[in-house]
Amino acid sequence: MVGRAHTPRPAPDAPTSPAKSGLPVARVTLWGLAVVVPLAFLVVFFAWPVLTLVGKGFVADGHLDLGGFGEAFSTPRTWRIVGLTLGQAVLGTAASVLLGVPGAYVLFRCRWPGRGLVRALVTVPFVLPTVVVGVAFRSLLVEGGPLGFLHLDGTFTAIVLALVFFNYTVVVRTVGGLWARLDPRAEQAARALGASSWRAFRTVTLPALAPAIASAASIVFLFCATAFGVVLVLGGLQYGTIETEIWIQTTQFLDLRTASVLSVVQLVVVAAVLLVASRTRARRERALSLGSDRASDRRLRLWGRGPDGTRSALGGDLVPFVVTAVVVVVLLATPLVNLLVRSLHVDGAWSLANYRALGSTGDRGALSVTVWDATWNSVRIALVATAIALVVGGLVALVVSRRPRRRVGRRAVATLDSLFMLPLGVSAVTVGFGFLVTLDRPLGLPVDLRTAGLLVPIAQAVVAVPLVVRTVLPVLRAIDPRLREAASTLGAAPGRVLRTVDVPLAARSLGLAIGFAFAASLGEFGATSFLARPDAATLPVAIFDLIGRPGQGNYGMALAASCVLAALTAVVMLAAEQLRGERDGGEL
Amino acid sequence: MSEVGDGLVVRDVVVRYDAGRRKAAVTAVDGVSLGVARGETLALLGPSGCGKSSLLRAVAGLEPVAAGRVTWDGGDLDGVPVHRRGFGLMFQDGQLFPHRTVAGNVEYGLRVERVPRDARRDRVAELLGVVGLEGYGDRQVATLSGGERQRVALARALAPRPRLLLLDEPLSALDRGLRERLATDLRVALRETGTTAVFVTHDHDEAFEVADRVAVMARGKVLQVATPPELWRAPASRAVAEFLGYQAFWPASALDPGGPSEPGGPRGSRGPDRSVAVGPAGLRVLPDDGAAAPANTWPATVVESVFRPRGVEVTLDVEGPAGVERLVAVAAGAAPEPGTRVRVALDPAGCAVVGREAPARQESIPTTP
Repeated sequence: MVGRAHTPRPAPDAPTSPAKSGLPVARVTLWGLAVVVPLAFLVVFFAWPVLTLVGKGFVADGHLDLGGFGEAFSTPRTWRIVGLTLGQAVLGTAASVLLGVPGAYVLFRCRWPGRGLVRALVTVPFVLPTVVVGVAFRSLLVEGGPLGFLHLDGTFTAIVLALVFFNYTVVVRTVGGLWARLDPRAEQAARALGASSWRAFRTVTLPALAPAIASAASIVFLFCATAFGVVLVLGGLQYGTIETEIWIQTTQFLDLRTASVLSVVQLVVVAAVLLVASRTRARRERALSLGSDRASDRRLRLWGRGPDGTRSALGGDLVPFVVTAVVVVVLLATPLVNLLVRSLHVDGAWSLANYRALGSTGDRGALSVTVWDATWNSVRIALVATAIALVVGGLVALVVSRRPRRRVGRRAVATLDSLFMLPLGVSAVTVGFGFLVTLDRPLGLPVDLRTAGLLVPIAQAVVAVPLVVRTVLPVLRAIDPRLREAASTLGAAPGRVLRTVDVPLAARSLGLAIGFAFAASLGEFGATSFLARPDAATLPVAIFDLIGRPGQGNYGMALAASCVLAALTAVVMLAAEQLRGERDGGEL
Repeated sequence: MSEVGDGLVVRDVVVRYDAGRRKAAVTAVDGVSLGVARGETLALLGPSGCGKSSLLRAVAGLEPVAAGRVTWDGGDLDGVPVHRRGFGLMFQDGQLFPHRTVAGNVEYGLRVERVPRDARRDRVAELLGVVGLEGYGDRQVATLSGGERQRVALARALAPRPRLLLLDEPLSALDRGLRERLATDLRVALRETGTTAVFVTHDHDEAFEVADRVAVMARGKVLQVATPPELWRAPASRAVAEFLGYQAFWPASALDPGGPSEPGGPRGSRGPDRSVAVGPAGLRVLPDDGAAAPANTWPATVVESVFRPRGVEVTLDVEGPAGVERLVAVAAGAAPEPGTRVRVALDPAGCAVVGREAPARQESIPTTP
């Protein structure tokens, strides 16, 4: 038994000594570093290249000149591209939301055998490299393909379908994550007050979900408006986005001025969407706090009961279930299965020849390196990019998750938060292009980063940082500040609190962040296509080169290489999901 | 309490919160002075938002003190960071570390102090014994019930032998039966370990059960500090009495001095500025024997009767000295029917005499530090 025998803990500090000294110097230095390192990274590798590029649109021969805008906007081609970009983004977003909300319901609100597997399947498209998706849809829709009779190859519809394929997951996971945590009793109360299930959904559940839907829609819109690889592969010469047009103007027509102007247009669109997104996200975080932790899913019930007790298709889960089944089977699974099957066919017979050819450089030397070399390049570069993204993104998440006591500090934290969202929206092509025009002599230093082989991983890290922040930050923010206070009162110094509370709790999300960052840089195509030298091509670049060259052999290799890239990405994401543990849903 | 004396001294402490853009800062604690002697348990009692938790957090070092001083054994704690104060803190919802086992939680503070492994294990076992959770060391905290979590939180806070234990509504999240049981266990654990403690609560039963002395707070100020019996017998002001559940305040001059149920006691001097506070059990329903009305009894009409284990609780409209008021009285026998006319009498044991102030605006009464 504990008696009075033991002496109370002595004061670790003599109370008379002013112990203020422990605080400032070391801590301020460390936090300062945690702010300065990511900021420096963002300025040098994002702000500077992008702003230089923007400047090229405004400045000609050393003075301000808006003539570039006049020129660019006087051509019908520019207007057509802007129209196409907005059109496909609107259609892609609308379709993703319309299909995704029933999907969120079936996959996150209903309980049925096999749900976990389908949830995992639905996640796959989001992390698939854009080039792979483009190739998969093309091999499905091309004349002679399984769906060739629809004559959709090279059409606007094909692009929109591929965009929905990509972004369906975003809607399902964002909306589903909230829906799973929504307290079902509000809807039950509405039902008890006499509302039909549809009316209860429309008047109670839908308004509660609205912030999540709006936030998902704005992110999907962003992804659609900046789509690059998919559009480049599927759209051919006829269809394009601002993003592909920047690429074409730069690499085909060598018209840097028009490309810069288009980059500015792109920035304006993205900034507007990001503004809406951050507004809705703030609302969503408020809405989430109303959610309960109780398991609120219920058994899937296909049929409703009519007033006379007969089975009825209304009121049950039949409609959302059928919609989701069609989307999963037709839109998501078919292109992938078809890609795999076609990669294993040569001249109408089963064969591994396409895979054997991956050790070569393609017909008539389509590539400078073998596909396996390109694969190794991709993995190596992705490892470096992930490490950079993890350090920068982890620091940002750590800083942004603090809640300073003073208002100035709180505002600074909020600013930093939105600053690091920018790369998510600014097109990868703009970043890659910006690197090209600025980083030959970074900050006037006589180092050409372009030949150092570091540019590609750095560009990919810029793209991956927001993903890391968005994955880790919600977890760090969800840690009750009183948990840290409890550790402090038990004698833990600030560093120890960080080490024993924040880090272990964020560790799981760190696994997922690694997965996202690695998958994103494995599949990164926009910036890499500018920066990778032919002798150091990555896998997506090699695939794009292969489908651009004539020859059945090259096309078969592209299919096989796409399967390899898809498998690689899937393995990485599966491993990351394992680390993630039980948590359902989430930001992306 | 001596100034340099043992234990905690809080003097004229002010805590302010930044309320946001272009708003004046909110003053949560407004010049509070208190003392807690070593080995003593003090309860900070008050309605939610009265500043009691802010005061506790200021003592712990979690909120900056805008003015005033917090000292321990005469040493100023200004600028001493939270983790160097040697004060334990226990939250309403435990705040256990979800990624550690029960033992991992309890030994956290010991690891910080680099206590050797064997000593650590013994201390953890000892404390789990104190809180009645022997053998729970390897359990995951997610598998514990609410009451078990609070017990683990208590063991964790006690493990490093804090100079002072701060408890922020430690029992409020629990249901009634468990709360009463844990309040007793908490008192025993504090006594056994000889821990000095400050205990924040909004529940006066809880405060009376656990604390040696109670400080009643309202709107950032301390209204009274006293032992539970003293507080109950002689609330310093009408505000304190109202918070404790006194239901009516009648001018003392309106009572017949010769009456049988004249409340009094040592402070029962009756002046024009005094009033009688009628406690929750301060009225009795008299059997209506038809005799003439005795002094200090008032007619009343029964509104409702509710059976309680300790007697029948009768709600009535009492035509008392301050007009008709709806009050609660205790009846000894059968529950009277609604509408019945009865008489009620004061029960001196359930009443107190307080100074008579304006009912709406309550000036705080400075207290001895």
